Amino acid sequence: MNRIPITLLVNGEPYSLAVPPNKTLLEVLRDDLELMGTREGCGVGACGACTVLIDGVPARSCLTLAVDVQGLSITTIEGLAEGDELHPVQEAFVERHAIQCGYCSSGMILTAKALLDKKKRPTKDEIKRAISGNICRCTGYAKIEDAIATAAKKLATPSK
Amino acid sequence: MTEASLIGKSMVRSDTVAKAAGQALYTADLKLPRMLVGKVLRSPHPHARILNIDTSRAERLRGVKAVITGRDGHGVKWGVFPYTQDHDMVPTDKVRYIGEEVAAVAAVDEETALEALSLIDVEYEPLPAVFTIEEALKEGAPLVHDQYKNNINVHVHIEVGDTQKAFKEADIVLEDTFEAAGEMYGMLEPYAVVAHYTPDGYLDIWMPNAGPHVRAKALSNLLKMPLNKIRVHHINSGGAFGGRSEISPGDFVTSLLAIKSGRPVKLVYTREETSIATRQVHDIVARIKTGARKDGTIIAKEFKVYYNGGAYSSTGPIATSIPFYVYEETYRLPNLVYDGYRILTNRPIRGMYRCHGRAFLAGNAMHMDKIAEELGMDPMDIRLKNGIRAGETTATGSKIISCGLQDAIKAAARKSGWKKKRGKLPPYRGIGMGCLAIMCGFPMGFRSGSSAYIRVNEDGDATIVSGVVDNGQGNESMMVQIAAHILGIPMDSVNLVCSDTEVTTHDPGAYSQAAAFVTGNAVRLAAEDARDKILTAAAQYMKVDKTRLALKDKMVYLKDDPEKAIKLTRAVRYAMSKGQHIQGYGTYIPKISFDREWVKNPYGQMAGTFSYGTSIAELEVDPETGIVRLLRMVVAHDCGNPINPMAVEGQLEGSVAMGGTATILEEHVWDGGLQLNSDFLEYKMPLSVDMPDIDTILVRSMDPEGPFGAKEGGLTISMSAYKAIANAFYDATGVWLKEFPYTPDRVLKALQAKEKGRR
Repeated sequence: MNRIPITLLVNGEPYSLAVPPNKTLLEVLRDDLELMGTREGCGVGACGACTVLIDGVPARSCLTLAVDVQGLSITTIEGLAEGDELHPVQEAFVERHAIQCGYCSSGMILTAKALLDKKKRPTKDEIKRAISGNICRCTGYAKIEDAIATAAKKLATPSK
Repeated sequence: MTEASLIGKSMVRSDTVAKAAGQALYTADLKLPRMLVGKVLRSPHPHARILNIDTSRAERLRGVKAVITGRDGHGVKWGVFPYTQDHDMVPTDKVRYIGEEVAAVAAVDEETALEALSLIDVEYEPLPAVFTIEEALKEGAPLVHDQYKNNINVHVHIEVGDTQKAFKEADIVLEDTFEAAGEMYGMLEPYAVVAHYTPDGYLDIWMPNAGPHVRAKALSNLLKMPLNKIRVHHINSGGAFGGRSEISPGDFVTSLLAIKSGRPVKLVYTREETSIATRQVHDIVARIKTGARKDGTIIAKEFKVYYNGGAYSSTGPIATSIPFYVYEETYRLPNLVYDGYRILTNRPIRGMYRCHGRAFLAGNAMHMDKIAEELGMDPMDIRLKNGIRAGETTATGSKIISCGLQDAIKAAARKSGWKKKRGKLPPYRGIGMGCLAIMCGFPMGFRSGSSAYIRVNEDGDATIVSGVVDNGQGNESMMVQIAAHILGIPMDSVNLVCSDTEVTTHDPGAYSQAAAFVTGNAVRLAAEDARDKILTAAAQYMKVDKTRLALKDKMVYLKDDPEKAIKLTRAVRYAMSKGQHIQGYGTYIPKISFDREWVKNPYGQMAGTFSYGTSIAELEVDPETGIVRLLRMVVAHDCGNPINPMAVEGQLEGSVAMGGTATILEEHVWDGGLQLNSDFLEYKMPLSVDMPDIDTILVRSMDPEGPFGAKEGGLTISMSAYKAIANAFYDATGVWLKEFPYTPDRVLKALQAKEKGRR
């Protein structure tokens, strides 16, 4: 298949690649950029495990063609921490036991970050609705919702 | 001792930073040099003889490095027990379900592998098929396997007391049939395997699994290789819920491809393949007859339970028994007859599930409530009355050494406002209760035990070696916490090497609730042994009596004079200089009956101990739409003593989703042998917005055998949440809805039937 040259801006780094037009962003992230934190759960956009942020908005990378996101800013889970310092949302997920098997965590954390970028103090209901496109089979969501509320508080208070 | 206690504290789990950072690796993330892509050709027929398989065109395709069929195997069939070995993981004679493995290829990339599959020619002779329990049991029905007459794969018969006499003496006798469709495990990680075979005959293999040592043994049997040449490696697992316990056909296929190609092979299932070609949950039909005295004492039970087992035995005898056992571990049952039948059909393979048995268990719970109603008793009181207590023995002979059932019932009732709500809520709103016990480890004969060893290094840090495996529930972190507590060092000073079969010690695996009680005890004993060695060395060095010493904050100190202390590193180095390296060893096997057998002798001690739980559900039914909305679940679980309370709470909350919310959503839907909802769009799993408010209560019964009093942490809720929902539905509607799940179609039908009855 013919390949199309594209430049992707992932976690602030530009990557020049030549990709087949039918290759998904998920495949490019995992196969070409070796960013394995973006995970495939269903391949049909139902579970949210493959969620990345495109210009700050949560998107299913399994349903997104790589050639369609040229020039847009893509954030994957690997782009959240600063060095060894986890992002407050990641920290809250760890502290509040919002992670069990961890397979949904990347997508869940990015979805939560996008919510908190938009909404500093989301209500419980807003949190529930924000993550309703991300399936977690382990936690029953309670600790995830708790972690997001905790992260909101962390983000509101200037860091240590 | 009075060291800084880590036990009972909600500690950050040792595995979750990597998971939060997206750095934790799962099987599909692995890349090895020269790795090939594996793909499987699957049967389009539910039942057909294989007349011929021609792979020559596929083999000639450029980029194809290996093609395998069943003939590349050794003709060894898989089965957990000698008498259930019937699963040819790539069959040569006939296919028995849509999606069954027929052949597989390994190629340089996915496109080539898929093209190669299309070049494999298989000639089938379709055979008549059976899909439901009724069809399979019909006189003269086609046989799925010739050796199982009437398609009865397993018959478990258990008899205690004099049931017929007891029914005659009973004041109330009820008889009902309950049905439940099977669910999807729905672990978020699709199944995946990576295998690599070295020229000197060693197989390295990675896959999500809940028991690396049993997996390696199964592969050793099927591949006819010595056990020490098969190395199941540690890898993160994206959920298990009972569904990663046994060897999967994918493990066998990938191994054969790796052996034949001489290159590493990665096989990643699609979501649909995961739903169709890895084990899923049994459909169950349960006929239950209950006899009770006027005072609410249950005196007689007669059960006929049918499990749709799909095409092969799998854990058959266990799956056919577990719903019964968890029930007899909960309540006193003086007289009973249990007949469990696992029926083979031309449906895909079925296994054990975290919520296994909802028709049977919810059925029994509804009978208990019916009796309470007839007698004017509170459903809570009938449970308190019949509930088993510590010191008693179950019907089939398991001694109960700790039991928090009474406390769990009372605590959940108090928290939920039970007395104010039961029978008193407005129309179409209801509250219901369900209770359950669970064994901490299945009896697995000589495999029932676990061992561990711990080395303390010259820098005062420690390494645990254990066969423990973690599928997300926090087992790895639990072992780290236990060892850190005993050695008086922080959790991040402990490294855990686990679930690698060529390096680690034996362990029964994590699929039978054994981790806390069995593995936890082995790690505890290993850490205590290491501590004893440290204290022995320190006593020599400090010239004091060993009994006066304790460990805390990486120091060895005198308990009666804490100012007098030496560094842990000093003690370890001193020991090493004497040739006494600090290595602790621990081994634990639960006190079970070794002559117990699931079919031949289903009596005796089932497990070392049992945990107990109670679920209370509050829900609302919309009579117009048939939609059931869960409002609140209060769940109380006796885990003995929680090692990491927040981790246990997480298990309970997850159980509410899987055993509770799933009761109104989840079922596999079929057209004959074709599964109609194999993906996450069509199969409805609970989302955040479907979840009720959850209150979790941890009951502490301090088990005399468990590590620090601990037992299994949460499964009683997975298997009692649906009981509570069934009874809450009755409280809301006045209808005993005997068919699961409680989807709008079933709910409306039931409400309409009640209306008609009234007119």
